[in-house]
Amino acid sequence: MASADKLINTDVPEKDVFALHFLQSLSNLRTQNPLLNSPDKSIDRVKKIKNAAYVSMARAAGGTSRLWSRALLRRAAKDDNKSVRFSRRKRKVTWKISSKRRRSNQRAPVVEEAAERLRNLVPGGGGMETSKLMEETAHYIKCLSMQVKVMQCLVDGLSPN
Amino acid sequence: MDNELFMNTEFPPPPEMATHFEPPPSSSSAMMLNWALMDPNPHQDSSFLWEKSTEQQQQQQQQSIFDSALSSLVSSPTPSNSNFSGGGGDGFLIRELIGKLGNIGNNNNNSGEIYGTPMSRSASCYATPMSSPPPPTNMNSQMMMNRTTPLTEFSADPGFAERAARFSCFGSRSFNGRTNTNLPINNIVNNSGKLTRVSSTPALKALISPEVAPGGEFSRKRKSVPKGKSKENPISSASPSPSFSKTAEKKEEWGGKGSKSSEEKGGKRRREEEDEEEGEGEGNNNTKPPEPPKDYIHVRARRGQATDSHSLAERVRREKIGERMKLLQDLVPGCNKVTGKALMLDEIINYVQSLQRQVEFLSMKLSSVNDTRLDFNVDALVSKDVMIPSSNNRLHEEGLQSKSSSPRSFTHLPTLTQFTDSISQYQMFSEEDLQSIVGMGVALNPNNESQHMKIEL
Repeated sequence: MASADKLINTDVPEKDVFALHFLQSLSNLRTQNPLLNSPDKSIDRVKKIKNAAYVSMARAAGGTSRLWSRALLRRAAKDDNKSVRFSRRKRKVTWKISSKRRRSNQRAPVVEEAAERLRNLVPGGGGMETSKLMEETAHYIKCLSMQVKVMQCLVDGLSPN
Repeated sequence: MDNELFMNTEFPPPPEMATHFEPPPSSSSAMMLNWALMDPNPHQDSSFLWEKSTEQQQQQQQQSIFDSALSSLVSSPTPSNSNFSGGGGDGFLIRELIGKLGNIGNNNNNSGEIYGTPMSRSASCYATPMSSPPPPTNMNSQMMMNRTTPLTEFSADPGFAERAARFSCFGSRSFNGRTNTNLPINNIVNNSGKLTRVSSTPALKALISPEVAPGGEFSRKRKSVPKGKSKENPISSASPSPSFSKTAEKKEEWGGKGSKSSEEKGGKRRREEEDEEEGEGEGNNNTKPPEPPKDYIHVRARRGQATDSHSLAERVRREKIGERMKLLQDLVPGCNKVTGKALMLDEIINYVQSLQRQVEFLSMKLSSVNDTRLDFNVDALVSKDVMIPSSNNRLHEEGLQSKSSSPRSFTHLPTLTQFTDSISQYQMFSEEDLQSIVGMGVALNPNNESQHMKIEL
């Protein structure tokens, strides 16, 4: 199946892994909150599904080996108030500290401004150096497109017709 | 200086001279024509004479000439220039007065034949020395001769003017180099800004502008000045010794090279200059083409823009970013058409945003779809999760609570027939992704469950 080492490099993440995680979390959603099916809570449910999708994507993309996936997992952990275990290596990372400092340098203003917007889009991008941001963005885009594909497939396959 | 002098006399005139003397005073230009018609050779002879005499003076007066190349350089022209360039207040005053009076015709007092027209031309560069009193004028005349003789030849040449005009900058630069290496005094004068007249000449202006910045060279030349001064006073005695001049010249060159190695940027510059001089020595007019790029590089190096560690790091960083951008460019559709980093980034941002929106939309759809159908599928998948190889186990152990919620263990792997069978059952999942997903999920299930799913779907 998928080897985590392979995913660390900017290879295309395994769709199967993502699908597994995603479906798993979906089932969890179902089993844990069976009442979410009611229409008034649909928004919350959508949000949860989305989060589940992102988290499973992050997991599929090598867990915490990537900055953006790490940020996603951490964010998810914060949202859920659940303790997602991070290894010590991950805790050392201080990507939020340098985010403000990065903004105060005088480089090509247009590019930097665009990069700034990109930082807001890519999870955990706030503290990334620009070149690192590009790298992470590349990987993130790969994973996102994969995610979209798989989700599309799921929707197509599961939609009643 | 000596080197230059010899070169000028012996070899065809260097092109730079032409450029320098292009913008001389009008009177001098008129004289130039006359001069051009004349045969330059006699002047050369005279120049030699003068040279010798000056050298003798130097020898007699100062043994310390050999100490440094600069000193030797200074020594030969000093008698003439020292008055105005040496930095002595009185000399300067005299110079200025002379300059104001400054008629080229005055120069004829000692060596009229020599001074004729070339003097006037050189006057553009050394306005005051020309008109200076006899002893200095002698020295001047020598210098002038050296400079002017090639000029005359050049003026005789019809294509010379055009060439000079074309490479005016080159000429000025080369002249700068010469003056820098050979006539430190002039530099000093210009830098100090005392001699307004001298600086009025375009060539000299050009000289000033680059020279002021690098402190190293300037300071060195300054040091050399006092020596020149000390020499200047006992000018009168003269006994020809050409060999001496040559040795001095050699030493000068050697010293120049040593200084090169010591300096970094200035060294570059000097090397260029020397190259130029060498070209002249060979008697070539066409050292011009390689010059402009050199000049460009030199300017950049002098400012320290490209060689600065910060800028280097910045360049590395930019290259890195560009590299990553290329990587992104391949990923983002439609990004190849866009040029420019900013636009490309915009495109990338748009793409990421669209993807994220898509995810949101799909999750919305899934929320509506995800009622009961996924149950079995998911159960199957979860069960399969247990079977996932060790590399993925870490991830699952981390945060997946589902294991506890749906504990199910499968002891047997599905057979190939089951797998294909299940796939065939879900024709609607035409996409390869879903096939694999569903296939996995179904394949791992016992038969009855797959049947169940089939019914549901």
